[in-house]
Amino acid sequence: MNDIGEFTLLLALATALYGCVAYVMSARGNRIDLYLSADKTPFIVWVCVTISSICLWRAFLTDDFSLQYVWAYSNIELDTFYKVSSFWGGQKGSLLFWALLLSTYMLVVCFQNRKKNLRVVPYAMAVMLAILIFFLFLINFSTNPFERIPLPPEDGRGLNPLLQNYWMVIHPPTLYLGYVGFTVPFAFAVAALISKDLDDGWIRMTRKWTLISWFFLCMGNLFGASWAYVELGWGGYWAWDPVENAAFMPLLIATAYLHSVMIQEKKDMMKVWNMSLILLTFVMTLFGTFITRSGLIQSVHTFDEATLGYYFLAFLFVIIAACIGLILVRLPLLKSANELDSFLSRESSFLFNNLVLLGIAFATFWGTIFPIISEAVRGVKITVGPPFYNQVNVPIGLALLALIGIGPVIAWRRATFSNLKKNFLKPVLAGIIAAVALFPVIPLGSRTEIYTYVTFVLCVFVLTSILTEFYKGMVSRMGLHDESAVGALATVTWRNKRRYGGYIVHIGVVLIFAGIAGSQAYGTHTEKHLKIGESFEIRGYTITYEKLVAVEATNIKTRIIAQLAVERDGKRYWTGHPEKEFYKGQNQPVSEVDVLSTWKEDLYMILADFREDESATIKVYVNPMVSWMWTGGWIIAFGSMVSMWPDRLEQRRRLDRIRKQEQLFPSPAQE
Amino acid sequence: MGFIHFLELILITAILLVVGIPLFGKLKLKKLVEAVDPISDKYGHLLVRKEETLISIKELEFDFSTDKISGPDYKELRHRLESEAAEIMESLDQLEKERRKKTNPVKSH
Repeated sequence: MNDIGEFTLLLALATALYGCVAYVMSARGNRIDLYLSADKTPFIVWVCVTISSICLWRAFLTDDFSLQYVWAYSNIELDTFYKVSSFWGGQKGSLLFWALLLSTYMLVVCFQNRKKNLRVVPYAMAVMLAILIFFLFLINFSTNPFERIPLPPEDGRGLNPLLQNYWMVIHPPTLYLGYVGFTVPFAFAVAALISKDLDDGWIRMTRKWTLISWFFLCMGNLFGASWAYVELGWGGYWAWDPVENAAFMPLLIATAYLHSVMIQEKKDMMKVWNMSLILLTFVMTLFGTFITRSGLIQSVHTFDEATLGYYFLAFLFVIIAACIGLILVRLPLLKSANELDSFLSRESSFLFNNLVLLGIAFATFWGTIFPIISEAVRGVKITVGPPFYNQVNVPIGLALLALIGIGPVIAWRRATFSNLKKNFLKPVLAGIIAAVALFPVIPLGSRTEIYTYVTFVLCVFVLTSILTEFYKGMVSRMGLHDESAVGALATVTWRNKRRYGGYIVHIGVVLIFAGIAGSQAYGTHTEKHLKIGESFEIRGYTITYEKLVAVEATNIKTRIIAQLAVERDGKRYWTGHPEKEFYKGQNQPVSEVDVLSTWKEDLYMILADFREDESATIKVYVNPMVSWMWTGGWIIAFGSMVSMWPDRLEQRRRLDRIRKQEQLFPSPAQE
Repeated sequence: MGFIHFLELILITAILLVVGIPLFGKLKLKKLVEAVDPISDKYGHLLVRKEETLISIKELEFDFSTDKISGPDYKELRHRLESEAAEIMESLDQLEKERRKKTNPVKSH
């Protein structure tokens, strides 16, 4: 099977090479025979990569340690669940997983666009194949997951215990689905530039793809934060680690694109800007991949065998140079047909939002690469830590939060100042009430506390602004139709999925802002060394160390579990079980935290250390409002679903447009 | 090993057949797309603009009904958008007529 897996990888590379060349030749030579031939290659490549992936999964599930990769990331005792996820646990498998996702996306694009949009699609497919060729080249010739060990050992080295967590099964695929997904809009943007078909057709063709990719990237970031929170055992969820930043930056740029692209659709302007944003988003996804595989940056997220830096750097430079070159060459065709009607319009609020998002992205980028530049130029490695990011990004983030509240109140094209004042009244009033109500409650001694206070006030302002929009939409609908309030609210949301789905996403973002502010400003922690029966207090909780238990969980895993009774107001409230897990063959034990999560705060317990006399060092964090973040994430997911849900009216309009165009100007392939 | 090589050979043959068949037929004589026709491009562009302008009118109505825009501003913007839509539709009609004349001169008379 391993031979088949290796062979199909080579076959995939050869087919992709042919497909890429054939697609380009079919477009340049205007040859339908070549196009139809090339159009078979996405399916063949997908079949080959899928066979190869199945072979690797089979090797993991059957403990085939003749493969170096399986030996390095699995062992006999590993749960089947983690044997499946070990596939992407290391560099080699993760690249194959990337290729599998990309070939799957490519296949869907191929089926979606069969014999359609023939001036753009062949180039788009060629671009996607070219990117896939890069990955397949690396997999085949530099980091082959089917590399053999001449004398196979009886057991494997095992998966890193930090990766033996259910988030490992969820987080990387979600993030990759986002990363890889942006290849589609990128490919169509490049294809539009090559084919000079620079109308907003490519945007319409890839609108759903962009939304889906954004959704997965957003969820990937949140799942990553959850994983860090429960697995790394330091009490936090985000550390501005270079790899976290690498996943965060494309999300910011893609968010800017999702907003500004609406202006192009409505007003046929900002073509260069939108083109640049989507190209930059893709470049940033590659940058993220480069960071994890370059070996330049030390992080818990980087791969052990990070040796592919130069390949990725070269590829990154080629992509950047090609994108800049194409935009410059096509600049005359990218001129805007219209201008903004008014400075006081939703369009201009979107422009500000773009600047703010790019500001955060740039600050994050600078903080991420500064240590590399510093080391290269001065030979001194400087660490850029959370204080830098917080100092720069928090004020910009607050401006972004304010804009989320301002945007919905302003009309498209031109807002009337008097109406604007009237519409701002309620949100501003709510903000003022919140400011007055919170002033005596919230301490304002430090900069962090002041920022937190401002964040809460802005959250109330934004929430009121969004909820007022829902209310107005509902009332407007009820005025025109005989519907109940709930019915009118549901109908108005369903009929304007994009608008109201976006508002729901914004509600989620507000909760995330509130959660971050609350947990950063008002969190507290303590560390105590306790003997059995001893207690300590933290924020009204009395924590008593009751016992220490050792459990042989499997042949390779021993769990040392501390039992901690939590009392509140003299009553037993909860029992916490933080633990340390020892894996055979691993030097460092892994902390498994225990968290009691409520809407108000998280009680987060870590078994930091223990001794033979059963005394233990217990670390307890009280992190307020962390669950607001995860709730915000689920609301974002729901809002994204609403936005992405197929719109029948829109589909009908699109089909009608295509039919009209084809009736008048039939293309040979469609005849 | 013999079986593996046989399987590999079958895979290669299947791929060559699937990819090669379209290259050996009458399809060679057909074009993938017509030469870039600026009129077709313009027509497609106008169809999109028409759709977007009509959506903008609906959104303007919605913004007015939710009190985001004053009566005079609404009237002015609506008038502008309606004129824009009328202009686009006129251009579309014109292009359709020209195209029909070109492709079917007898019928169009």
